[in-house]
Amino acid sequence: MTDCPNGLMRDQLPEYVHGVLSAADAARVAAHLEECGDCRDEVALLETVRADAEGRTPHINVAAIVSALPRPSAVTGRPASGRIRSTRAWQFAAAATLVLAVGSSVLWQRSPEGATQRVADSSQVLPTPASTAPVATAAEQVAPTEGMMFGGGLSDLSLNDLESLLGQMDSVRTLPSSQPESMTPVIAVKDGGKAL
Amino acid sequence: MDNPTRDDGAAADEALIARWQGGDQRAATELVGRHAQALARFAVSHGVRDEVEELVQDTFVRAFNSLQSFRADSSLRTWLFTILKRLVLDRQRAERRQRNKVELDEGHAIDEFDALDGMVADEALVRVRQATARLSPMQRDVFALRVNEGLPYAEIARVVESTEGACRVHYHNAMRAIKEYMTDD
Ligand SMILES: [Zn+2]
Repeated sequence: MTDCPNGLMRDQLPEYVHGVLSAADAARVAAHLEECGDCRDEVALLETVRADAEGRTPHINVAAIVSALPRPSAVTGRPASGRIRSTRAWQFAAAATLVLAVGSSVLWQRSPEGATQRVADSSQVLPTPASTAPVATAAEQVAPTEGMMFGGGLSDLSLNDLESLLGQMDSVRTLPSSQPESMTPVIAVKDGGKAL
Repeated sequence: MDNPTRDDGAAADEALIARWQGGDQRAATELVGRHAQALARFAVSHGVRDEVEELVQDTFVRAFNSLQSFRADSSLRTWLFTILKRLVLDRQRAERRQRNKVELDEGHAIDEFDALDGMVADEALVRVRQATARLSPMQRDVFALRVNEGLPYAEIARVVESTEGACRVHYHNAMRAIKEYMTDD
């Protein structure tokens, strides 16, 4: 199985197989396939891989998933949950100001049992669309600025947590994130079990 | 963009999100229906065999709980893939810890999975599976998103936290490796 020398054409083959090319591009690829055995072989390989992926994937029960989702009002009615998005500089500034304001009093505001809420509790860490922008090279991936959301108020944080938050603000563009903190999935148990 | 199909998909998602945020629960059904199978395929490409549906469900639960912070400068689909990928990697790490094993690379985990996955009648299919199992984790992700989902490099780059150019190279290296494996001996 050899490679067609037309790299531009080969690059479009997966999208051709999925039917997501524009009509003009699809026509160009189709015309090329008429005369290129290498690309026809590659298309056949792509279709085999794709069909295999579909064949080995269990059918997902959409209704079961939807039943586990929050109700719209339960989510959108919440006043932003006190979450701060790393991509919003003004919120950072506000958070930093608040941190300074409450920093000295935060210790006695902790709950009686001394439990504190971790900054960027991993169960709440979600990749934010705006934070996954590509960086310069594949070898030098800089982390997206994940993990800067946190639940609860700043007064729930320990002094160390607040210092950690400030540190994260300073280094928000340099955090290594290909290894995000462990996330503890909160998986609602569905009825009906797995669909296979 | 010269791709009306893809743009229509992202726009449809945005409209559905707006409907759901406006209180229309049926929009959630449409959103889940549009992406659930693709997420499941991506999980399977990572070697997930059990609890695929639970992983997909958890992905949606997390996404919907944070939809108020979703911004349309990335597609919903990209965001969902990113959440799922992190859940899968986290689960695999937890499983490795549980087994108290020395850190395996993810490629080996997939090898194990495919070696166990018998009952494939088609010899060519067996070869394809073996070949894809030998890809690096990055090549495997890029290849899966490109071949199984038809995603553009720009979207793949966001999911795997790399660049379009690097993803193009990963894709073609993966394709070459698979072809070489298929035609060996
Ligand atoms: Zn060709």
